[in-house]
Amino acid sequence: MSDAPEPYVSKIDRRTALAWIGVVGAAAGVGTGVVVYGPITGGERITRGYGTDPKLTKPEKAPWSRIMIPEQLQTAAILADYVLPANATAPSASSLGIPDFIDEWVSAPYPDQLKDRPVIMNGLNGMAPKLLKASAAERAAALAALAASSDRTTKKFWKKFRGLTIGAYYTTEAGFKDIGYIGNVARTSDPGPSAEVKAALEAQFKKLGL
Amino acid sequence: MATENYDAIIVGSGAGGGMSAYHLTKSGMKVLMLEAGRNYDPRVESPMFNTNAEAPLRGVGTPDKPFGFYDATVDGGWEVPNEPFTVAEGSEPFKWWRPRMLGGRTNHWGRIALRFGPLDFKPKSRDGLGFDWPITYDDVAPWYDKTEKLIGVSGAAPARGLLNTPDSPPGCLMESAPPRAFEIFYERAFKAMNIPVIPMHGAVVTGQMEGRNTCLFATPCGRGCAIGANFQSTTVLLPPAMATGNLTITTNALVYQVDLDKAGKAKGVSYVNRKTGEHHSVTAKSVILAAGSGETARILLNSKSSLFPNGMCNTHGMVGRYLMDSVGTGVTGQFPALEGLPATNDDGQGTQHTYIPWWGYEQQKALGFARGYHIEIGGGRRMPSMGMAGLLGGDQSLVGDALREKLRNRFGSTIGFDGRGEMIPNDDCYCEIDPVAKDKWGIPVLRFHWKWGEHETNQAAHAVKTFLEVIDRLGGKPEGHVETDGKKAISKGGEMIHEIGTARMGHNDSDSVVNQYGQSWAVPNLFIMDGATMVSSPDKNPTLSILALAWRSADNMATIAKQGAL
Repeated sequence: MSDAPEPYVSKIDRRTALAWIGVVGAAAGVGTGVVVYGPITGGERITRGYGTDPKLTKPEKAPWSRIMIPEQLQTAAILADYVLPANATAPSASSLGIPDFIDEWVSAPYPDQLKDRPVIMNGLNGMAPKLLKASAAERAAALAALAASSDRTTKKFWKKFRGLTIGAYYTTEAGFKDIGYIGNVARTSDPGPSAEVKAALEAQFKKLGL
Repeated sequence: MATENYDAIIVGSGAGGGMSAYHLTKSGMKVLMLEAGRNYDPRVESPMFNTNAEAPLRGVGTPDKPFGFYDATVDGGWEVPNEPFTVAEGSEPFKWWRPRMLGGRTNHWGRIALRFGPLDFKPKSRDGLGFDWPITYDDVAPWYDKTEKLIGVSGAAPARGLLNTPDSPPGCLMESAPPRAFEIFYERAFKAMNIPVIPMHGAVVTGQMEGRNTCLFATPCGRGCAIGANFQSTTVLLPPAMATGNLTITTNALVYQVDLDKAGKAKGVSYVNRKTGEHHSVTAKSVILAAGSGETARILLNSKSSLFPNGMCNTHGMVGRYLMDSVGTGVTGQFPALEGLPATNDDGQGTQHTYIPWWGYEQQKALGFARGYHIEIGGGRRMPSMGMAGLLGGDQSLVGDALREKLRNRFGSTIGFDGRGEMIPNDDCYCEIDPVAKDKWGIPVLRFHWKWGEHETNQAAHAVKTFLEVIDRLGGKPEGHVETDGKKAISKGGEMIHEIGTARMGHNDSDSVVNQYGQSWAVPNLFIMDGATMVSSPDKNPTLSILALAWRSADNMATIAKQGAL
């Protein structure tokens, strides 16, 4: 088995991809739920936001140009999959396109995201040499060192990157399934919690003396 | 339009404007409604079942959409493009939430529909502070009944007779959805503190109601409701008003002035089209301002004439005075006892299913603040957002399966407690015309002045203390830094988006701008039918009262019109 990390291919869920068609002409399907986008070819960088009256029922792709280069996306993929790798029942962060989301986030023209931009970009640039051209052992060591680091800049980057990854992951349908969110379905009535839930609460009340 | 002969022009299409249009058009009057924002149709524009993953930045709030991408608010929020306002130097901060859309803030509001109680109309008589209304609870009660039956409100329960917390008569309310796990959970702590927990009154159709769809028990109301199961002016009031054939709606019409005739009566209004910049004047037999307390005051103050050199109806300097908001405070707790509960669908009916009305009326003197707050409590296994890492309680090390396990375990284990309390009107809270600043069309803008009083900051401190006790009794821990100093824990002025006052009702033209029916003292065919007429700011969220008072005022106005006295 090669030491090289699996190459990250930009992807996005099919529903969003369909909504984007016409916006991103270079899109080409490469299998279920995976779309690869063509490289950015010239043109002016767009830095506007989506405005105060965007379409809500069928959101359009965020209009601002993306700033991350392939090395940064690749680094983000390794990091995101360190936070949330695939397991027997849930997909990996990179397979859900989380690196693309990180790109969307750090490229955004809004104050919160502009504040995060240098934190994430400097962090990715700092991690790239330790992850992209390293042996598997070196890579594992570099990843493990993140959470253990006492360096302020590293801690800030790790906290932000991990938080964005977790948020981006669990806001997807796959994330819903993994965390046990079973709502967002039309119902004729709300029956309230099950007898099992009520019994579990009663047991807790006993412990709390309530 | 010039050929139409309107009985009334209504400025604004939210709770006050929508309700007055509903009643007047049904009474046979020809009405022209002017709305500053664009046309908006929740039936086709509500992103009800969209997931955050489909939205830019996973739906988080931005300056373009401060309450999140999917919030119904159009063209606005804390800032409206091209329409600034100012806050006076030396003032405490003031925030002003404005949408620019048909239906106004009824599209995104919290649907909490609580009646003011008997004490709320006579606060000064009780404790000597603030001002009494010229009306009593009994004057408004029949209109509350009618309003609840019209808009659809949940929260039916056996009459409890709690002080100043009115029970709606049988037949007014539908039953709420049952309490969710976190609601069953917190109730136990309040019960141990002898504080009653009762069904929330929510403007959501939870049962069978003629002509209305029942809630789908999914998706947040603030996104808008495509099936019209919650109350929005755009789904509940404006369609039946349009169906009478008596309502004309003009959108993008930013009204800036009430025009007077030589006899000193209102002959119409002037507005600028927000899209084209063109100015128009329209006429009618009467004018109703329901633009929201701030805009209503701004229009009056900008309507200067030889008769009213300081603004219409402002001879006694009452316009803009006694601006009020609700007192807001909040603490969130995390509860090990809620960890690992079996998966449940906690989407619920949009509003909270239960809440805590103010319980301390009898202890007010000992508490050190004169007026109380109710508690709105949110929690449960709601659709995940970008804030999910907050569930980890500061842990920065877990990854992989251990991380997944901790998140799964803690999902739904946090509860947010929010106080919403009464503010006593004071001389330091008001709005006026800024002598310099103007909007894109050259119209002078509002300048706000704000200062919380000690009754409010002490109340905020008490709320935080209460929340901490509840969290502790439930074996939880507060999240993040908790501010116990009321002056720091309290919300900013206007932040609760309950700004009211500015053109209050009263007994005569020296103590108020309008009479108990919203009819202005100075210009008899000029009416105000929004929150501007309110005399006090009870803890109960104001929308239901704005609706009930607007209906009462519109009914009186229709009677005057029938007598030919407009």
